[in-house]
This record gives sequence, structure tokens and C-alpha cells, in this order.
Amino acid sequence: MQRMFMRRVVLALLLMLAATALTFWLVTAAPGNVAALIAERAAGAGADGEMIAKIADDLGLNDPLPVRYARWLGDALTGDFGVSLRTGKPMAEEFAERIPMTLALLTGGGVLALVLSLAMGIAGAASNGGIVDRLLHGMALIGASTPNFFVAAMLVIVFSVWLGMVPTFGVSGLTSWLLPWITIALFPASVLARVVRVNLQDTMSRPFATTGFAKGLTRRAVLLREALPNIAIPYMTTFGAQFTLMIIGAIVVERVFGLNGVGAFFIEAIRFRDFIGMQATLTLFVVFFVSINLLVDLLAMLADPRLRRPKKA
Amino acid sequence: MLKLDRRSFLATTAGLSFLTVLPRIAFADGHADTLRVAIAGETGDLDLLQNVSTLSSYSAVFDALIHYGPGGALEPGLATAWTIAEDGLSISFDLREGVSFTDGTPFDATAAEWNLKRWMGVADFSWIGIADAFDSIVIDAPNKITVKLKRPVPAALLELIIVRPVRFLSPKAAAGQPIGTGPWIVESYSSTETVLVRNDAYWGDKPAFGRMELKVVPDELARANALRAGELDVIGGDWVAALSPRRAQALAGEGMTIVAEPGTATTILGFSPQSPMMQDKAVRDAIFLGIDRAAVATVLFEGFADPTVDIFPATVPTAGSRTPVPARDVAAAQAALTAGGWAGDAAGWTKDGTALEIAFLVSEESFPGSRRIAEMIQGMLMEVGVKTNIETVDNATMHDRRPKFDYDLTFFGTYGAPYDPHGSLGASFVTASDTGPDGKIYVHPDLDALVATALETGGDAREGAMQAVYDWLRTNTAACPLVVTQRLWAVHPRVAGFTLPATDYDLPFKGITLG
Repeated sequence: MQRMFMRRVVLALLLMLAATALTFWLVTAAPGNVAALIAERAAGAGADGEMIAKIADDLGLNDPLPVRYARWLGDALTGDFGVSLRTGKPMAEEFAERIPMTLALLTGGGVLALVLSLAMGIAGAASNGGIVDRLLHGMALIGASTPNFFVAAMLVIVFSVWLGMVPTFGVSGLTSWLLPWITIALFPASVLARVVRVNLQDTMSRPFATTGFAKGLTRRAVLLREALPNIAIPYMTTFGAQFTLMIIGAIVVERVFGLNGVGAFFIEAIRFRDFIGMQATLTLFVVFFVSINLLVDLLAMLADPRLRRPKKA
Repeated sequence: MLKLDRRSFLATTAGLSFLTVLPRIAFADGHADTLRVAIAGETGDLDLLQNVSTLSSYSAVFDALIHYGPGGALEPGLATAWTIAEDGLSISFDLREGVSFTDGTPFDATAAEWNLKRWMGVADFSWIGIADAFDSIVIDAPNKITVKLKRPVPAALLELIIVRPVRFLSPKAAAGQPIGTGPWIVESYSSTETVLVRNDAYWGDKPAFGRMELKVVPDELARANALRAGELDVIGGDWVAALSPRRAQALAGEGMTIVAEPGTATTILGFSPQSPMMQDKAVRDAIFLGIDRAAVATVLFEGFADPTVDIFPATVPTAGSRTPVPARDVAAAQAALTAGGWAGDAAGWTKDGTALEIAFLVSEESFPGSRRIAEMIQGMLMEVGVKTNIETVDNATMHDRRPKFDYDLTFFGTYGAPYDPHGSLGASFVTASDTGPDGKIYVHPDLDALVATALETGGDAREGAMQAVYDWLRTNTAACPLVVTQRLWAVHPRVAGFTLPATDYDLPFKGITLG
């Protein structure tokens, strides 16, 4: 068991290493002269060729790619992700300021997705072909196929502009979080609601559910006591995947709602070709992806003894 | 058949009822004395020597010696009067008396000297003519200084208006503390908001309200929605939080006041002077004649742009005489090609076995909306028989290729007030100037001489020298001006007396009252 845990952790670390190398190559291989952009930001109309050449030299942009990656990795392992070319602040400082905002967005969205998906999935299964089931099925389809920038715009128009209930941007109390949370939670909640619904339907036809009915339990009792715990593993793994994907949604949601998080920073870093900011943010995303997936794997192994058994040839 | 049971019906009804009884947020409550202005990016610490902070916020906090007035008129700022010596080698300033920085430090000749020496004669600021020609400063009296120059700088007074580094900081301000003499004091700033409070000791006209909140809203749609919801009072301004013409039209139909006035910057189609195809004047003429500028202004800018063939609009000083905008003339464009030795028709042109095919470099990041304009121009030129290939690149690629003239056609913009015309002429039309990533609109040895003369000529002769440059550019079809985009703002109904700031680099607050 312990060996399997260690193996997963080592694999996760190797995956992170490979992902950072790949992103580093992609970020640096993009066309364009980053030094020229920096010079323009630094000196405006005073930027000249000499300044551009000096910036390129200072940043080591003329060194071979493996050398640059090794240097970046060495610094990153000590927590030094460099200084953002756009804001001039150390990336550690940027993260310290922005990660809480993104975490609040993801946590709220995650909780909402969890609650909504379970409520919708269970209600659908309880209705079992009734109006509520069909209604929720339709809602889940719409939710899973509507892009979040559109959802955000619609929510803002209805609840902020027309009804004036919540602010359109920024953080000013709990109500200001409602629309960002709903926007970011809608897609995963819709997907997860279908996972719950379909797995519950499947589980309800299993022998132990039939036994429950034979014992005189109501449909609701069988659903909640017998079937629901049995969908925990597929739900958990899908939830983990959806939760990690929410970071991509955060890139749009943070910008639309004026939230000063990592996603909004990433967009600006791309626009400015802040390759130090891009690389640091992508590394953060990689760590987030891999860690959540690792956590889900470990939790699944703890929950299901079958997953702890070594695979036989 | 779907059936709605009683429980579902009651739950739905209760939910909808709950929504209707939730209170509306009155966003203006508690903000009666506060103007809320959208800014696209954080203001930063307003360091006058670094090119990081948002340009538009400086003028609220810092004054210049001279302020920019309508049409480029020079208006007294921290200097009440100025005298340029006959030889142009010294400029004396009478400093405004009784002015203090907001930390209580008096603004006098010593403070002025301390400020000016932070950038005059400093290599990093040699792109400013007066800094490059700086010799010394003499304190003539407690409120009078003279700046001595190594050579005359005819645009010196205009250069003293620009946003940074020329404005005045308290000599006692600690690093990162933006303390000026301006109408506003920075109460706080963060990456999401900068709060300004009125400087009640301001020497000039004080704002009619006590507080201004600059809200960082990067997304244009979010800004428009916030204005609709009453969370923002003012959005717009190219250097503040740009408002697109299409969005402005939408807001106009929703009760918001749209303020649009003639702009100061020209959108120009630049011909690469190093492209063999573009070195052929016949091709340049065909493009110049084949574009319907009025259609570009009407369709793509929703009427919030003015077609032009002049390099600078009349809203900047010494912009030269006005040239009537010619109607698009496909036949004349084709005739120009024929006269230039090209053979063909609307299906295409060739010369010495080479097909007329043009690379059109576009970057949405560098110039939002440019792709649509390029596509429209592509369609217009296709009717002439000129084939254009639009290549869309990111900002970094544009900054890499433009200085190398690695394109046939691309978009440029002049700097606008208060930097023009000397700023754009000295940077974008001179071979020897190193504009780094910005590239240049057009360069030619003959043009170099004319621009040098124009920039060095002062007094009454300046206008004529400038006109010679404009005439050369027009005669040689060296650039293809398209439109002057209007200065565009949207204002919430609770704001009265909205007046456009002097330039696009300033925040609006003068004349405004809040309902």
C-alpha cells in the first residue's frame, strides 16, 4: 500500500517535470521578440536597438534552450519563479496576492458544483423519467454546452443590470461572489449531475438495490442508503477532473468579473508575452492539475480496497 | 404528457417570488460625492521615471509647468509665464507662487530644479529633445528658473506638457509615494482599485466632488455592464479604458450619454520603404486611391471616426493645411498602375513577370479591430485587382517584424496630443531615429532632411517647415492615412457636466457634477 502511494507520488513528480519542460519549450518557441516588448514597456518612445540587445543579454535569451530551462528549474526549485516582465513584481509576490482570489473562486465554485450536481442527480434519479428528471436533464445539457463567457454575460445582464441584485465586477462582500461561482460551477455541475444520475440508475438495477426493495425499503431509501454510497468512486474521480478544469474557466471568469486572480494574470501575461509570468503560471497550473489528480487517486485507493491490490500479470 | 405536481409548482412559485422581493442594490448609494471611473489596468505607483504605471492617472496627481489647452494651446500650469531667449538657448519660467505639494513641501525654484534634474541631461530620457539638449538650470529667484540648452529645441514647451517624466514630484516623497501638487491625492492603490481624494489646497479649480475611485475592469463588456448597472459613472478614453464604437452605439440606446469629439491620433496604413513592391509609387498610389475611407469610418467605426488623408488632424498644432478626402476611385487606382508599367485589370496585375501581391501584417493585440479593417481594405483592393494576403500575428511578432520593415502593408498610429506633431515626426519618419519595437511609418533620405529642418525651426517659420514635410509625404504617397478615431466616452445619467479631458492621457473630472 505504502509502496503504491510512493509510486504514484514519484510518477506525479515526473509528470510535473515533463510538463514544465514542455511548457517552457512552447512558451519560448513562440515567435516574436520579447526583449523588444520589454524595452518598449521600460522606455516607451525611448526604446532602441541597443536597449533591446542588452535586455536580451541580461535575461539570457541568447542562451541555448536547455541551459535556460535548467537555470529556470534550479531557481524554481528554490521558490524563485523570476520577476514578471509585465508588472515588474516577483512572481512569488504576484502569486501571494492572487492565489487567494483564485482559490476562493475555485473553492466556492467547487462546493456549488458538488451541491448542485448531487441535488440535480439525485432529484433526477428520484423522479426517474418524470418531469423533474426531464427538466434537469435538459438543464444539464444546456449547462454543459454553454460557454462560460456567455453564461457570465447573461447572468450579469439579468441579475446585475436588470434586477440590480449583485455587483457586476470586483469583490465587495459575499453577494459579489455569487455570479462568478455560478458561472464557474455551471459546467462541472451539469456534467457531474449526469454522472450522478446515470450511475444511480445503473446502481439501482444492481442486486443489492433489488434486495433493498425486497426488504420493503422505499425508492428514496434505497437511492440514498444503498445506491448513493456506491457511486462515490466514479463521482470522486469525475469531480477531481472537473475541479481541475475549473482553473481554465477561472481564466475567463476572473477577467469578466474583474477578479484579480491567477487566471486574469495569465491572460495579461499572454498578451504581453511575459514569458516569465506565463511559465510560472503554467507551472502553477501543472502543480494544481497533478496534485488534485494525485489526491483523488489516493482518496479512491483509500475508499476502494480493490484499487489497492497490486495488478497481476 | 408532462405533469407538474403541486409540490413542484409551489416550489417554483416560491423561488420566483423570492427573487422579486430581493432588494435591488442602489450602487450609487454612499457614492454621492464619488466619481467612479473605469481603468483597464492598475494605475501602479505612478513613478514618474518608470514606464510601468497607467499614463492616464498621472495628471490627476501631478502638475506640469505648462498645461495642454484646446488645439494645443499652451496654458499656464505650475509656470505662470515663460520666455524663450531669442537664440533659443534658454527658457525662463515664472513659477506659480503659493503652491505646495500635498505633503506640505513648498513648490519653488529649488523643488523645480530637483525635479527637472531627475530627467534633463539623463541618457534614458534623451528621446525628449529638451532633455537631450539640456545644459544647466539657473535659479534666478525663489520662484523663477532658467533652463539653459546646448541647442534650440523648438518643441520644448510642448515637451514639458507630456505625462512623464516631466511632472513635478515632492522632493520629500519617499520611493513609491506619488505626491504632487495636482487636484487629487492618492489615498490608496491596489491591483483592483486606486482611490483619490480631492486636494482641497489645490491652486486651480477644485473638482466639484471629493473622491474619485479608479476601478480596474480589464474587460470592455464588463465595463459596459457596470455602467448600465450604475456601478461605474464613466467609461472610455483610449488610454484609460477604451470603449469600442459598437459598444458605444449600444450604450447610447440604453440611456447612457455618449460623448464623442474629434480625436488627435491618426490611423495610418504604412508602406514598407524596404519592400520592392511598396517602393513602386504606382502601387502606393493605387492603394491610396482604392480605399474608401468614409466607408471604413462609417461601417467599422460606427461613425465615430473621421476619414482623412492628412498625417495629423487639425486638433494638434501645426498639423498643416487640410486636404480634401478623395472619394474612392477604382478606375483612377487602376490607371495609376497602368501608368506605372503594370499590366492587368481587376483580375490581377503583373509587371516584369511579377504578380502584384501584397503582404498585409496585422496584430489585433497591437491594434484592436485592425483585422476587420484589413479585411475591408482587402476587399476594396481586390476590386482594383490588387491581391493582399493578411497575416495576423501576436504583439511580440509585430514588434519584431515592424522595426525590420518585414511587411508590405501594416497599420500605424500617430501618438496624438500632446506628443504630436513633433513626437511622431521625429520618431516615425526619420531614418536615424531608433524607435525600437514601434518601427517607422516611412523613411527616405529626402524626408530626413525635411523633418530635421521642421523640428529645428522655431517661430513663424515652423508652420511652413512642417507643411513642407506634409507636402512631401503627400506628393510621394509615402503613407496612407485612413481615419482619425474620435475620442469616445460613455457617461452614466447621474453624471452632469461631463467635459472631455485635455488629452487622451488625462482623466475626466473637470466640470463634472454628480447627481
